[in-house]
Amino acid sequence: MILADLRRSDRPVSGLSESFLAAFPVAGVALSTVGDLLGSETLAASNDVSRHVDELQFDLGEGPCWEAIATVRPVYADRLERDGAVKWPAFTQAAVATGVISLFAFPLFVGPLRFGAIDMYSDRPVSLGRGHRELAVAMAQVVSRRVLDSALSSIDSVEMPDSPFSRRIVHQATGMVFAQLGLSMDDSRLVIHGHAFAHDLSVMDVAQRVIDGELAFAATDSGIQELE
Amino acid sequence: MTPPSRELTLVRMFARLTDTLVDDVDLIDTLQVLVENCAEAFGITVAGVLLADGAGQLEVAASTSEDNRAVEVLQVAADDGPGATTFRTGEAVLVPAIPVEASEWGPFTRMAEAKGYAAVFILPMRLRSETVGILILLRTTQGRLSDDDVEAAQAMADVATVGILHGRALRESDAVVRQLERALNSRVVIEQAKGVIAHTRSVSMDEAFRILRDHARSNRLSVSVVAAEIAERRLVL
Repeated sequence: MILADLRRSDRPVSGLSESFLAAFPVAGVALSTVGDLLGSETLAASNDVSRHVDELQFDLGEGPCWEAIATVRPVYADRLERDGAVKWPAFTQAAVATGVISLFAFPLFVGPLRFGAIDMYSDRPVSLGRGHRELAVAMAQVVSRRVLDSALSSIDSVEMPDSPFSRRIVHQATGMVFAQLGLSMDDSRLVIHGHAFAHDLSVMDVAQRVIDGELAFAATDSGIQELE
Repeated sequence: MTPPSRELTLVRMFARLTDTLVDDVDLIDTLQVLVENCAEAFGITVAGVLLADGAGQLEVAASTSEDNRAVEVLQVAADDGPGATTFRTGEAVLVPAIPVEASEWGPFTRMAEAKGYAAVFILPMRLRSETVGILILLRTTQGRLSDDDVEAAQAMADVATVGILHGRALRESDAVVRQLERALNSRVVIEQAKGVIAHTRSVSMDEAFRILRDHARSNRLSVSVVAAEIAERRLVL
């Protein structure tokens, strides 16, 4: 129900944080893009504290959202003051000063493309049980697609090519990435578009390189990688 | 055993074609039989059908070679070659010897020559008074296509075009457009499925399509249905 609601494309990305607020015992939620692919920007924040927590991480270059993106895994800091003091000393000190007790971060990614995080904080001690963790990961996956799709669709250079022949090549490459990564067709297409954007190539060029075997994606122990 | 007469061969081909016009006809399957028939009956190197999408852009819906280099020639013939003429006028264009002087076909002529095609014949896919697509026959040797062959090929194209309306209410004014759109949309999934098979089996796109088509035929399924099963991970070929 929550997942289906998140998938609805008529809901703006900026409203997605509300669904997290409703589903988890937290005080605030922020949704941000981070890193080179889409730049660092807060797309949605349910209150000033959560917005501030994100901005602190951007400014300091450390914190759970960076770790979530680097490891492509969720970060659970049930007691930020204890769990973050060594890993992110400057951020932890500043965040605790604004009243953050617990902080959770979920990476936004599609295949090999990592581009953001969802941060949830609580002003009283909270830990997420297994059900909550699984739901949050599933919701973050849905939001990942929405965010990447929405970001790429506003960029002319990564539009689907006009010519039917070029589109055919892109569809074939989509099928190859689907077989390489175990993603859905829609996500596989997003991976091709995202790679084109990240490397300043046309979608057709990326597709042709995939078909020619010059570019492949592979799931490895350390996550999904691009093999050139 | 003597080989079957030419008449018998053509009769069998028409029978194969009409066999595809079942209740839930899938246009892609019908067109696939059409292009395979034409290639076999008339000594054609590559045969392809292009259908017009909602915006009037011709797009390859079926061909005897799924090699991208061959498909590209078909697309250029339709965009910047004699195919554009046939689609515009509804008349067949027969070019027994490439190159031709017609300058508006320049891009096609150059590509056809570079890839070794020496003759091209284009027939309209007609539905009542409307041209909904074109049939392209490419050959690597020069020479005419006999009047009988042209007539037989056009007749097969006409039969295949019936599939566009078969089983649909003729009164529905947008039935044709929707059938064409449906065929071109299922082509998207077929291309994706080809990519899956090409990667999984390390084969060419042409071979990947053959695997897809043969599985569909031996299981009496349409190629589109099998492709959709692959795209939803319900089937691995």
